[in-house]
Amino acid sequence: MEAGAISVPGGRAVLTRPFRERLADPVFKWILRILAGLVVVLIVFFFVFLYNKAHVALSKFGVFGFTFGETWDVGKEQFHVLPMLVGTLITSAIALLIGVPVAVAAAVFVTELCPRRLRGPLTILVDLLAAVPSVVYGLWAFVILVPNLEGTENWFGNTFSFIPFIGGGTPTPGPNYLISGLILAIMIVPIVSAISREVMATVPSDHKEAALALGMTRWEMIRTAVLPYSRAGITGASMLGLGRAVGETIAVAFVIGGSTSIGHHMLSQGYTLAAIIANEFQEAANDKLHAGALVAAGLVLFVMTLIINAVARAYVRHAERRNLSPPPAPEGTEPVTLGAVAT
Amino acid sequence: MTIRKRRAVMAATIAVVALGAVGGTVALAATALSGAGSTLAAPVYQQWGSDLKSKLALQYNPSGSGAGVAALQAGTVGFAASDPPLGPADKAGLKKGAVVQIPTVLGAITISYNLKGVKSGMFLDGPTIANIYLGKIKKWNDPAIQKLNKKTKLPNTAITVVHRSDSSGTTKGFTTFLAAYSPEWKSKVGVDKTVNWPVGTGAEKNAGVAAAVKQKGGSIGYVEQAYALQNHFTYANVKNAKGKFIAPTLPSTSAAATGIVPPKDLGFVAINSNAKGAYPIVSQTFIDAYQDSCAAGTMNPAEATAFGQFIKYGLSPAGQKKAQQLSYAGLPPKILAAANKAAATLKCNGKSIGA
Amino acid sequence: MTTLPAISGRRRSADRAMRIVLGLLTLIALVPLVAIIYFLLKNGLSAFSWHFFSTDPTGNFFGDQGGVKSAILGTVEIVLMASVLAIPVGIAIAIYLVEYGQAGWFGNTVRYLIDVMTGVPSIVFGLFVYAALVVSKVGGQAYTAWKAGIAISLLMLPIVVKSSEVVLLLVPNGLREAALALGTPRWRVVMRVVLPAARPGIITGAILSIARGIGETAPLLFTTSLVLGTTTSPNAPMNALPIQIFADINSPNSQLVTRAWGAALTLVLMVLVLTLIARLYASRSRIA
Repeated sequence: MEAGAISVPGGRAVLTRPFRERLADPVFKWILRILAGLVVVLIVFFFVFLYNKAHVALSKFGVFGFTFGETWDVGKEQFHVLPMLVGTLITSAIALLIGVPVAVAAAVFVTELCPRRLRGPLTILVDLLAAVPSVVYGLWAFVILVPNLEGTENWFGNTFSFIPFIGGGTPTPGPNYLISGLILAIMIVPIVSAISREVMATVPSDHKEAALALGMTRWEMIRTAVLPYSRAGITGASMLGLGRAVGETIAVAFVIGGSTSIGHHMLSQGYTLAAIIANEFQEAANDKLHAGALVAAGLVLFVMTLIINAVARAYVRHAERRNLSPPPAPEGTEPVTLGAVAT
Repeated sequence: MTIRKRRAVMAATIAVVALGAVGGTVALAATALSGAGSTLAAPVYQQWGSDLKSKLALQYNPSGSGAGVAALQAGTVGFAASDPPLGPADKAGLKKGAVVQIPTVLGAITISYNLKGVKSGMFLDGPTIANIYLGKIKKWNDPAIQKLNKKTKLPNTAITVVHRSDSSGTTKGFTTFLAAYSPEWKSKVGVDKTVNWPVGTGAEKNAGVAAAVKQKGGSIGYVEQAYALQNHFTYANVKNAKGKFIAPTLPSTSAAATGIVPPKDLGFVAINSNAKGAYPIVSQTFIDAYQDSCAAGTMNPAEATAFGQFIKYGLSPAGQKKAQQLSYAGLPPKILAAANKAAATLKCNGKSIGA
Repeated sequence: MTTLPAISGRRRSADRAMRIVLGLLTLIALVPLVAIIYFLLKNGLSAFSWHFFSTDPTGNFFGDQGGVKSAILGTVEIVLMASVLAIPVGIAIAIYLVEYGQAGWFGNTVRYLIDVMTGVPSIVFGLFVYAALVVSKVGGQAYTAWKAGIAISLLMLPIVVKSSEVVLLLVPNGLREAALALGTPRWRVVMRVVLPAARPGIITGAILSIARGIGETAPLLFTTSLVLGTTTSPNAPMNALPIQIFADINSPNSQLVTRAWGAALTLVLMVLVLTLIARLYASRSRIA
């Protein structure tokens, strides 16, 4: 390129920027690095503070004993959190199983299938679910869901009585794992849906148009062009939803029933790690062992989240490696070769 | 307008609105008095604070008795409000000086139920209630209940037991009562702010228990008196230590504290009182503070004066009457005198604060 | 010219079936919303009045119980403080993770820890701030509004980071490379090309985090007290809607309970208004 033939802003001068301008980039990078590092510092601090308070209980029962023991009896000063751990896992699993498909479906519908005019209002409506305070969710679930779902629950239990955990059993009326999972599902829908929506909206339209031009139906186009592209983003959204489900304190406290034994049935009362902290901490604040046990429950939750996230991360990495090959052509069509372009 | 200009205008508008809303208010003129603790007594203290609003601005956090005491131990509030009296562990944590415990009001715990055709005033006693909550009595027309209520025909409905799922002084009072009448309850379940209930549905707070009882026919639950009276619940007459069936009225609640000789630190428990006409399930509540809050560093002199006025008003006939209007029972004369005497010892840096 | 095969009946009915299923599931997502809004309106609308919005709660049990003015203003101030802290820092961390931290142990660790932070219950954040700042009376006062702001910003931060990261990753690399090829310094590429391209998504994430932070009670209970009067100083206790709701909803007086419902309805309306304003501001929103 001759000098002066094309004038580029900066031109050759770009290669010899003054020192001050060259400084901007590393400074920027370092500011960001420090802020990111703050997160690490925060978490360490967090862990240290909490462990400090929890030490009383953890040293008395041992870390494993505390986590996997079954008795939580305040009067007898026995604190073990297995029932709560199980409860957290069960309710979060139900929340994800119900919440994520509904949220992703809503996101797909809003971005791909619904009439243009409805998009704005529908978006705002689904997002509005995020604005409801958890106290309202808890009370609504307790006052409306619990009595109204009793009949359905009984029918369900009787019809599917041959499946363990899901069917059969003699449910006590009222709060239980299922309703807790259900209210959590409702609470995570707006988060998962909003982020999935943003992700699906960035699918390049040429991908979608190419699929449609090749004769795919709308659903096939979504399945092959939109969903695979959005997979990573949807997984990210689901992790946020999972985080919310695992950590939700007050809404679950209303509908879990506060039972300190492990429920053997979806319709049993139970407890979660977050809910027991919410229910007992204020009155336990002046009792060092009890308060320490509750903080230790928080730590167990923390470690559990660490493990679940590590596992999920490993799974995603494994799945992405397998998915480097292009998605298969829809059935019923033959692979089309367009002249020089071979698939 | 260009996009840049539009955004600048938007930002400016938002800033102006925010500052205007926030800045256009006047800062608190009166002295702040900070306290935390009991949810049972919260409405009463808020009302007293409102009555005294020309002299002080009460900042009362209804975070629960335990949290209140913990806050006083940490020195983050001026006074704590606690339903259970201070135990040795609590006192050990209150290291900054001598502590004064002042009883303020009494609140009963009613046994509320939802049973078609049965009005308020059903007769129940300790052993029967304990057996219901142990799951041994499952139907309303069980002979044990029917025996106590010879004049009422009880329906053949299943009993749905409702209890608290959150930790609370109300549960402690209720379980103390049950343990006094049922050795099985005492050994199997025990007495505490939260216990492992053998049967029943767990509900959050008074509001939850009340809603649960209201929703389901055949339910029984224990609900604070103020709640039951204000919302016109159906509740039982419970047999007291003297063998009489007493309704949870304000006079019968106050009566529970008559005849009690409080210990030196005034930390008495009013459950299962054997005074005449006393309702057996009554909870006491205290205000705890350092005797010399200024020296202890939990209050400054202005706040201490405000505290003195607060206590003085609360224990005065006007304050006690206000509490009764809110459906809380006042202290009987002997306890009230003892409370006043304790309040008189409050001081700030050696000087009395006139409570 | 190749003729494409006609769409078989099977594929056509699969398409129709999935459209119906997706529409139904969307409806299912909306049913609880409608039910809850109806519930809120039924219980809380009767609390609304000029008095409700313009007076502070008085503490009176009967008679004039006042409105929730101090709670509304307090919520605005506390959430504003939390947002000023959480949103810029969150976006900055997301930028770091996407632009500089894709590989390497540091970026991966930060990303991992942010994921973990999303799962921490709000009450634990409240406890943390209580233990770290309130007990030692940092700043002179024990319970203050700014400490509540910090507790809430801790809650909001992971949501902002996660959602911003997701949308920043989707900005096409071509944009970045084009800008770099024109000689733009790296930081300018981020601020002037990448961020604007991701703006609608980032705003969505910010609103989601504010919606979460505005309604949480537990962190507030441990860091600020229930103050009835309107206060402005950040270094003093301040009222907020969630605490007021929490205190009123358990009241024996049914009028105070109604006030609590009114306050809850106010919270939802506040977020609705915020969402609408933000969508207007992000005039390049992809969706609406």
